[in-house]
Amino acid sequence: MKSDKYISCKYCESVNINSKDIIYCRNCKNKIVQKEEHSLSTAWALLITAMILYIIANSYPILEITKFGQTSGNTIIGGAIALWEEGSYPIAIIIFLASVFVPILKFILILYILINYKKPIKGSKKIDQAKLYHITEIIGPWSMVDVFVVSILAAVVHMGSVKITAGIGATAFVLMVFFTMLSAMAIDIRLIKEPKGGD
Amino acid sequence: MNKLESNLDDLIICRKCNTLQKKLKLPKGSKARCIECNHLLYKNFDEAFNIGVAFSITSLILYIVASIFPIINVSIGGIKNSLTIFGMIYTLFNENYFVVGAILIVVLIIAPLSVIFSYIILAILTKLKIFKNLARHIISFLVISKDWEMIDIFAVSILVALVKLFGYAEVEFGISAIALALFVLVDIFMLKNIKAVELWSYYIKAYSEK
Repeated sequence: MKSDKYISCKYCESVNINSKDIIYCRNCKNKIVQKEEHSLSTAWALLITAMILYIIANSYPILEITKFGQTSGNTIIGGAIALWEEGSYPIAIIIFLASVFVPILKFILILYILINYKKPIKGSKKIDQAKLYHITEIIGPWSMVDVFVVSILAAVVHMGSVKITAGIGATAFVLMVFFTMLSAMAIDIRLIKEPKGGD
Repeated sequence: MNKLESNLDDLIICRKCNTLQKKLKLPKGSKARCIECNHLLYKNFDEAFNIGVAFSITSLILYIVASIFPIINVSIGGIKNSLTIFGMIYTLFNENYFVVGAILIVVLIIAPLSVIFSYIILAILTKLKIFKNLARHIISFLVISKDWEMIDIFAVSILVALVKLFGYAEVEFGISAIALALFVLVDIFMLKNIKAVELWSYYIKAYSEK
């Protein structure tokens, strides 16, 4: 049975009675959800912020290499392609999945949930959105791999002739990950429309 | 209301597929899984929390070692550099990447230490049976901090960075590489593995026993 009448507390997983209003958990007294329309607008706002940041992150270099005074930049996709050409296929795939594919997947899913809430999309009843949402919540933080790699390289490669520094893209990217995580947290389970009439 | 509340206590909603189901009393050492999606709901290990505390002290020691001593040593053309968590964040701030630096401080320093200290403080409070309200806040804080702790992802990133460096640098693992690897293992299998339901049932049990 899917739970429309009940809602699970995100802090203590105890079951509470669902409503469209603010709900405080009966067990741990934390605020589980805001008013339903507030949750919706928060999720929209954070999602749009994250999408703008994603565009910026991809158009500026995430990594800058200075060799003998000459600076060249590497964008996220450029970095993944360079790795592929060097022959490190598994790493190229990891970088591509973590920093290109996962954020886009997350955007599409959150968008889908938000649009579907307003106006049910055809065929949406067959897709188990709760499960998809759970999966993206787990893989979301893995987008940070690229930022970590850039920070590590910037920390270990700085000598007289060769120097690696983070680029503008890194700031935009790290903020993007931050905001998508917040946006996914802002989506409360009531916004995910479950297939009706199930057992 | 009370009858309803006690009825609600017998229910649990699966995190993964949002299916409502009844909680069962489990025999010791067994696990409850969701009927729909087989997701792990809760376990009944009596010692789960105590083991969690023991391992949080272990991971505190591992964390201190891993954050102070170099994780990898890199030498390019005879010039040597080493990677430490603090050093890395210092470099970022030095180059005016404040936003990246600040977020790395949150996910690599504040969040893991919050998880570790929450366990330790929680253990002290529940053993002494004092400050029930504070313990409640600490559990909520612990559940949130777990989501923001990214040391495991950082460890994978080091491996990715190594691949990038192999071409033109000599790389060797430092003293704290093992500490970091052990920390990640303890973190995944012990600290992050304890479910919120289990913490709460421990909390209720600890304060109800006289």
